[in-house]
Amino acid sequence: MTAPDDSYKKEFDAQLTRRVLRYVQPYLRLVIGGILLALLISLASPVFALIQRHAIDSFLTPLALQRAGNLDALYRGLTFTALLYAGLKVLQFGLQYAFALAIGYLGQNVLRDIRADVFSKLQRLQLAYFDQNPVGRLITRVTSDVDAINQFITNGLVSLIQSTFIIVVYVVIMLSVNWRLALISFTVLPVLYFSTNFFRTKLRDAFRDTRTQQATVNSKLNENITGMLTVQLFGRERRSALDFDHSNRALLTANENSVHWFSLFMPVVAVLGQVAVALILYFASRQILGVSVDADGALQTGVVAGAITVGTLFAFIQLSQQLFQPIQDLADVFNTLQAAMASSERIFGVLDTEEEIADKPDAKTLPNFEGQVDFEQVWFSYDQTVTAETPDSDSRWILRGIDLHIQPGESVALVGATGAGKTSVTALVSRFYDVQRGAVKVDGVNVRDLAQHDLRKHVGVVLQDVFLFAGTIESNLTLNNAEIPHERVVEACKYVGVHDYILSLDHGYQTEVRERGATLSTGQKQLLAFARALIQNPDILLVLDEATANVDTETELRIQQALVKVMYGRTSIIIAHRLSTIEHCDRIVVMRKGLVVEQGSHRELLEHGGYYARLHRLQYSQADAAD
Amino acid sequence: MDSLRTLWPYLKMHQRQYVIGMVLVIFANSINLLPFYFIRLVIDGLTGARDGNPGTPGITLGQAGWYALGIVAAAAAAGVLMLYMRRLIVVASRQTEYEIRRDIFAHLQGLDKPYYDRASTGDLMNRLTGDLSAVRETLGFGAWQIVNIVSGFLTSFAVMFSLSWQLTLIVLAVVPIIVGVLTYLARLINVRHRLAQEQSSKIAGKAQENFSGARVVKGYAIEDREISEYRAMNLELLRRNIALTKVDGPLRSFMSLLLGLAFALILLVGGRLILNSNGAFTVGMFVQFVGTLERLTFPMLMIGWITGVTQRGLASWLRLRELYDARAQVQDVPGRTDTSVRVLDGDLRFENVSMDYGSREVLRNIDLHVPAGTFLGITGPTGSGKTVLGQLITRSMDPSSGVVRMDGHDLHVIPLKALHDAVAVVPQEPFLFGDSIANNIAFGVEKQELPVVKTGVSVVGAPLPPNIPQMPDPERVRNAARLAGLLEDIEGFPEGFETLLGERGVTLSGGQRQRTAIARAIVREPAILILDDSLSAVDTETERKILDGLREVSAGRTVILIAHRVSTLRHADKIVVLEEGRVTEQGSHDELLELNGHYAELERLQRLASDLDEDDDAISDPEEAANRLAARREAIRDAQATQTQTRQEVLK
Repeated sequence: MTAPDDSYKKEFDAQLTRRVLRYVQPYLRLVIGGILLALLISLASPVFALIQRHAIDSFLTPLALQRAGNLDALYRGLTFTALLYAGLKVLQFGLQYAFALAIGYLGQNVLRDIRADVFSKLQRLQLAYFDQNPVGRLITRVTSDVDAINQFITNGLVSLIQSTFIIVVYVVIMLSVNWRLALISFTVLPVLYFSTNFFRTKLRDAFRDTRTQQATVNSKLNENITGMLTVQLFGRERRSALDFDHSNRALLTANENSVHWFSLFMPVVAVLGQVAVALILYFASRQILGVSVDADGALQTGVVAGAITVGTLFAFIQLSQQLFQPIQDLADVFNTLQAAMASSERIFGVLDTEEEIADKPDAKTLPNFEGQVDFEQVWFSYDQTVTAETPDSDSRWILRGIDLHIQPGESVALVGATGAGKTSVTALVSRFYDVQRGAVKVDGVNVRDLAQHDLRKHVGVVLQDVFLFAGTIESNLTLNNAEIPHERVVEACKYVGVHDYILSLDHGYQTEVRERGATLSTGQKQLLAFARALIQNPDILLVLDEATANVDTETELRIQQALVKVMYGRTSIIIAHRLSTIEHCDRIVVMRKGLVVEQGSHRELLEHGGYYARLHRLQYSQADAAD
Repeated sequence: MDSLRTLWPYLKMHQRQYVIGMVLVIFANSINLLPFYFIRLVIDGLTGARDGNPGTPGITLGQAGWYALGIVAAAAAAGVLMLYMRRLIVVASRQTEYEIRRDIFAHLQGLDKPYYDRASTGDLMNRLTGDLSAVRETLGFGAWQIVNIVSGFLTSFAVMFSLSWQLTLIVLAVVPIIVGVLTYLARLINVRHRLAQEQSSKIAGKAQENFSGARVVKGYAIEDREISEYRAMNLELLRRNIALTKVDGPLRSFMSLLLGLAFALILLVGGRLILNSNGAFTVGMFVQFVGTLERLTFPMLMIGWITGVTQRGLASWLRLRELYDARAQVQDVPGRTDTSVRVLDGDLRFENVSMDYGSREVLRNIDLHVPAGTFLGITGPTGSGKTVLGQLITRSMDPSSGVVRMDGHDLHVIPLKALHDAVAVVPQEPFLFGDSIANNIAFGVEKQELPVVKTGVSVVGAPLPPNIPQMPDPERVRNAARLAGLLEDIEGFPEGFETLLGERGVTLSGGQRQRTAIARAIVREPAILILDDSLSAVDTETERKILDGLREVSAGRTVILIAHRVSTLRHADKIVVLEEGRVTEQGSHDELLELNGHYAELERLQRLASDLDEDDDAISDPEEAANRLAARREAIRDAQATQTQTRQEVLK
């Protein structure tokens, strides 16, 4: 469940609207086509009522026969009118279909473009941005916020244009047919507009309340299901049930409130419609009968020659009803537009986020990658308010002047307590963050001058918690790179010793990995991570070797062997806890509190007799215990 | 219909609302036919057919006024009926939704660990949200729409037939075609809607995964691949949405086209009827006929839709039924459970207890006596069965064979409530709730008996649930927090004990979470306190404080402490070493050191490590050290075995 964003409504903002419209620009043809179609539809719509009027007045009233005096002529006229009516209906349908498609294409394309832009932008943003923003919030940006913009375009702008056209055309036609009757039938429309506006606002608030309550109920459900065993162990069932019942009741009340407003809204609109009919009926009758009263005795002029006919009456009933929908749409347009404002603002907020770690315009690539890594007086803090000027004594510094030089192909073990800065060192090689002072260089080039993408292609990371994507085992190993042949995947898996395990699964390499690999054990995931790293074949390997607490000894051994194999022949930086791993490395770097305190080969450090020597003595004592 | 039978109890609770609501629909449908009758009267009046002279108006202005008023009155009456109908039926469906949710929640509270180990939260949530609303839609919208459609058709056709049987026959011939086409379209829309929805959740899932895995995505520089994959999914979504628009977008205009064609046909035939009938079929009747037919637009549209809703609703109800049908393995059984057992002292006895997970043996023939008031330490490598041993005490699951006894009672006969009241657990990875710290600590303390939320009853007229009494005195919570070494942390938060945890509040560190869970357990003052590796994420200094606190509260209580650090275990009355599901060593700290086995090695190792790290934070990972030790011991055993073998062979 993602928490609903606080602001749901924002005043209309012309600048935001212009930015949204910029997304419409590439589809200008669709827009123009759509507007033309809307215009045609508006012009065509009132025609049907007018044909009905013609049919009634010319063929169906008792006087028609008297006037024509010839049944056959009437039949012919009737047939022609019916065919015309049917033909125009087909035409109207064609126009409306084309319009719906045009708007559909427009809306969906804009939706797609915005979604792709937001997603692509997020791919370029630095890791720190993901540290700061919960995933749920980011997802809202590419889902409901984007949908709101689609609403803005299709329900907002389009219905604004369409409704305006229809209303103008209808008003003009009705006025020109009979201005007095027209004005009378218009009297209902303002009432309709304001009551729709009133009810929609009420309904919107009620629905919002419902959604909030539903979110509360859902999050309580989720929490209770996840923590049910805790609830049971602590004998909290009754309190939890009561607490849930309160939320459940609140949701019921909110729902009842929505029903309350909705049940009022529908009948009010229906009654207003019939009021319009009644008004037209009465005032049309008055005009018709009024003329006849004035010309008392001259009856034939009464009905026939009057300003109004039965056909007109019927047509007005139809036209006034058809005006209801656009008026209602118009009443709601501004609500829709406002609702989309907040979403657009959030989306553009993402798109405008500064890319703190960006490629320089002349960013270099390293075609012949060697794998040399140099840290030169590196000072670093995750806190972005820390700058190069921050005093050395500040406690927020994680790395405090690290100097470290790693030759191509060399393997280095980072040793030190939690918080010594080992993980930060690895994160800086990939340039997940920029350093505040000093420089991190790869092959002698400052990583700030390299194209990030190119740099990271050469750097492979094996993380503590192996992240598995939805998909098959194989696609997780190749990271969906179709160019990697299956043979290489198998080879790598055999190499790290996870091949047999994969084959033991139901569908082998094609087994679907579910819910972040819930079906795999920690050890197996770790081995898969090594296989993944091998398959990606990086020049620099970074291993965060900490998450081995929950594996059995056999797997543990396998992991160690795999690690040694993966390290072979490439620059490797290992955050190691096992001395057996460390001993396999060319050099050991001992870190404490953001500084390198000792470094050298295993032998050198032993002779030095410092921290590492003591660590090693511990290892020997284990061996002693074994004797 | 099996699903209807099981749904019946819920329907019955709101029988009155549903029945009256449906009657109102029928009345409203009939009344709604009146306005066109009045229009007909006016039109026929105006066309002056009354006295045989076509020029004479057959109606006075006064009459026309009355008819106009009649139209408004009829609309108002029908409107009022529909208003009450909605407030009866739609509200009833909302109430039913509430009742089902309430009842399933209560049922879920009775299910046990084996059930929750298998069930996925996502699936349960889907059932309680998506499926529940599908059922509600069927009850609320489906119920009155079906009545509306049937009564709408019946009344409209009766009127149309009375006006002209010839035209009615035409309509009868045309309507099935319209309904057929619309039903087909509705099905198509349903399918395409589902496809679009699926793609929509897929693309949201992709985004979710990408954002959560940002480190991998960036680490392997696969952003471009991710973008192109996203774009492909995005394009597919566009295609599916357009496909939906193709059938969904023009639905209304299509309906208007079909009705327009029907109108043309009726005009053609009806026109001739008027011209030929010598006043038996008038233009007014024609208008009424057309108007009555138009009223059927919405019901016709609904037929295809409503079948889909009903099918979905019934299928969803079956999925909800599965939740009702789930049974707990661990539960009180009338007859076996001895309700007289209320208070427990905490004398624990394992008698030949074994536990299997499928074919894997987790515990093997455990015999262990823990007298009340004992401070028992348990250690051993990962996977040796420590956690399971603890879980057997709370009956999170039952052993495969053997008996666990508390105060001499087989756990099976102790009421679960009494058992849970007596035992407090601090699990390895504690689950905290999105509530204040104070409420999280006071989580398991209940001063008074709270009423049960009644299930299986109608919510109509039911009183609001009672206010939940506030949690116990802050002093107790504060004291527990102090004992758990959490007080300073809490006072560091701006809102102190009222600080919210979780998404909307602060995120606690692993150590803070563990200490909160410890406070939560000790505040209950349980007879048995189980700490399952609950000190792994706190540093040694804090650990010492917590252990002091524990000793303070543990006087007279049984404490079972699962740990890897010797410093944690050393003051225990008795320490048990588990290896591969068996008890391999037991005794006091000193006794075990003398035994010179696993525990003694662990102690030596950790002493050296702590010498090494004394000016650093702590031993980096005691559990890892323990595991390493286990591996080594295995190697030694193997070596010894080989040695013995070789020696024997040599001797031969």
